[in-house]
Amino acid sequence: MPKQQSQSNPGEISSSSQESPPIFTDLEDTLKQIHERLGNSPDLNVRKYETLNHENHVAVMYINGLVDKELVDEYVTHALSFEEIREEAPSAADLFIFAKEKALSIGKEKVVEDQNSVLEALLSGDTIILFDKLDKGISVTTSGGEGRSVTEATTQVNIRGPKDSFTESLGTNIALVRKRIKNPNLWIETLTMGSVTKTDVSIAHIHGLAKEETLQQIRKKLADIHVDSILESGYIEQLIEENNYSPFPTLYNTERPDSVAGNLLEGRIAIFVDGTPFVLILPATFFMFFHTVEDYYQRYDITSVIRVLRFICLLVSLFGPAIFVAALNFHQEMIPTPLLINFASQREGVPFPVVIEVLLLEVTFEIIREAGIRMPSQIGQTVSIIGGLVLGQAAVQAGIVSPAMVIVVSLTGISSFATPAFNMALSIRILRFVITFVAAYIGLYGIAIVGLILVAHLCSLRSMGVPYMSPVAPFAPGDQKDIFLRAPLHFMKTRRRLLKNDKAPGATVQNSQGSRHEK
Amino acid sequence: MRKEVIGPFQLFAMIVLFELGTAVVVPIGLESGHAVWISILVALPGGILLFMLYTYLYRQFPDLVISGYTRKILGKWIGWPLSLLYLPVLTYNGGRNLREAGDLLISSSYDRTPIFIINSIMIIAVMYILYQGIEVFSRTSEIYFWLIVIMGMISNFVVIIAGLVQFKNLFPVHPGEWIEVYKSAYPNIWIFPYGELVCFTAVLPHFKTKNKIGRTGAGAITLSALMLSFTHAIEMSVLGPDIYSRTTFPMFTMITLVNVANFLQRLDALVILTLIIGVFFKMSIYCYAAVSITADLFHVKEPRKLVIPVCSVVLYSSFVSAENYPVHMNDGKVFLENILPFLCAVIPVLLFVVHLVRRRFGWYR
Repeated sequence: MPKQQSQSNPGEISSSSQESPPIFTDLEDTLKQIHERLGNSPDLNVRKYETLNHENHVAVMYINGLVDKELVDEYVTHALSFEEIREEAPSAADLFIFAKEKALSIGKEKVVEDQNSVLEALLSGDTIILFDKLDKGISVTTSGGEGRSVTEATTQVNIRGPKDSFTESLGTNIALVRKRIKNPNLWIETLTMGSVTKTDVSIAHIHGLAKEETLQQIRKKLADIHVDSILESGYIEQLIEENNYSPFPTLYNTERPDSVAGNLLEGRIAIFVDGTPFVLILPATFFMFFHTVEDYYQRYDITSVIRVLRFICLLVSLFGPAIFVAALNFHQEMIPTPLLINFASQREGVPFPVVIEVLLLEVTFEIIREAGIRMPSQIGQTVSIIGGLVLGQAAVQAGIVSPAMVIVVSLTGISSFATPAFNMALSIRILRFVITFVAAYIGLYGIAIVGLILVAHLCSLRSMGVPYMSPVAPFAPGDQKDIFLRAPLHFMKTRRRLLKNDKAPGATVQNSQGSRHEK
Repeated sequence: MRKEVIGPFQLFAMIVLFELGTAVVVPIGLESGHAVWISILVALPGGILLFMLYTYLYRQFPDLVISGYTRKILGKWIGWPLSLLYLPVLTYNGGRNLREAGDLLISSSYDRTPIFIINSIMIIAVMYILYQGIEVFSRTSEIYFWLIVIMGMISNFVVIIAGLVQFKNLFPVHPGEWIEVYKSAYPNIWIFPYGELVCFTAVLPHFKTKNKIGRTGAGAITLSALMLSFTHAIEMSVLGPDIYSRTTFPMFTMITLVNVANFLQRLDALVILTLIIGVFFKMSIYCYAAVSITADLFHVKEPRKLVIPVCSVVLYSSFVSAENYPVHMNDGKVFLENILPFLCAVIPVLLFVVHLVRRRFGWYR
């Protein structure tokens, strides 16, 4: 998607950059111009009405598919038949006042006075009423139209917990969160971004819990973004990230309303973008990417064990092939002798060095995985069976790779799926290749050094001013109960030190809601 | 740019990692024979006292590194050349640490890799972390502090359950040996590893909670002394004084003996990892101290620019300073007995005395 700076775009409709033509007193002229400016688009509907005495003409315009048809029909039939007007010869001004009053019963109405605002309103799903012999019109909020209904989450599946997920509609998404946090302190600010797309972006936070400085910082960063299009929350993510050259994601995204609600209650801030079910959450820390909402729905002991398992999986998926390569190349003494002999006899017919073998298999695995995602879901299964079973088995029999290698690579691959956040799993996937290369060159020593650099890099990251590795580094003893393990809920009574709003220490919400615990 | 700050626990972790550094792997205090673990504890009060001296000077001049207050106390004409002496010593000692790590790695499994490659890989990591700044460095040390503690517990535990510990190697301590214990404690163990804490005079100006400095430092030094003493006691009890004094890396020799139920064996990787981590942090602090003092002496506004030159000097000195490991060890002995005490103890004590005198008689302008 080409992302140009706004000033260079010729087809621009933004009201600020060029002066707007007025609404003419001649209705036909105005209609003609608006038609032209929309490129005679067929989805622009215009209905014309006239009063009983055939003197006055009124036009109703809307764009098909963007409006709630029922609402428009109701409004038009009820209000604009003008049956209730008793006067013999109503003037255009009378009609205007009449229509405006009627519009109140439908939704928010607004007076529009130039063509740009007419277009803007039309494109955001409003219905416009224009009058002959009058240089202004009315815009009524009637936005609606088709959208996906709330369905089960597809990317963040869980066993226990709510099944709903966000949709593409901003209003629905915010409502889903509001349903969970019935508190007046859940504040939402909306701004429009993208000079061409005019996308609605909402910042949600709980007043009194979220840090004011962080909020200011986000507002400033969003205001500094000048692009012509925001099609997904990923655009905003990449534009406000502080560390552009880091492989690690510093913003968390989710399509689960309960996850957003939980994070808001922790004092984080959510960014909703119209047109995508993925909501950004910030500030994000490294350990967030290894937690799921379900961790809080299951018992604490189960959760703790599962979390430890996840971190082991992280280590395996990051260092698994590297350690295997290092052990076979440099540190044979670390492998028990019988096993080493086994490995050696397996590799007898294999013509490649260990690292080539690993890379061959890893790349194959990545191909299968990538193809599996893009395939239609019915065929996806087939691909994984063909890829996994047939290729693996056949590659061993053909003598290209050794069986032990297949085990190592597939274990690594499966481990990387245990990371709940997909974007973090992607980073780990890439880093794994780097570490494997280093291990092939200099063995365990290289792995240790890369590990040191990696940890140093993680410690240098910040997400909206919060250190990425907190609360482990900087170490906060009070915050350890929800990192590697999870304490029982009745122990979790304090808020995170670095996320805490110092001025209002969480009192507002806790008292009014009576919530005993927090995540 | 905002000033970088480090918290009490971060300083604690840094001191522990620095103290353990190489001292946990190489043999220290050879004169005292099997009572080396007592020597370590005997040297502890001296170490704490020395650190208190550094903290006293830091409290007097909270924003200055050692070269800064040396010039304040002794005047520009004596202070500047005197602080200049720190630079070669710090870089040489950093290089020594690097050399020890490189030699252990070469003797354990990289016998065909040149030491230059091994050392330069390590120095690249040091450059990276110093370039990120002291704050990132301190956070990294917090994480590795836990890692070292866990690894230490695992390796000691494994050695104990393998049934290798023989207390007859530790006791009895004869009255005559107490003299040797003292001899090796002062000045040898007192200076290495405790006296080397003089490097922290460059780190302390970033410390944010001034009133906790004494407690943090003393706590960290005590903890690391206990860990060192315990580890060396285990090493000594497993190997006996004879092998202990002859091996280059007693801990490494010890761990190769472990065999629990024919399953837990060959844990050398743990020791190598401990040494890599220890050397990494120790050397980084040496390099950091050298960078800060250079920046202070030559008025370099952006100390980051000095990271690469200083680290290159350390790398160079690591492999040209000695032809082989025995020479290296011998050099170390001379260095430890003659040069290091002067910089770690004599100069600070001199500064302390002169400062007291000048303040007492109001000779500060």
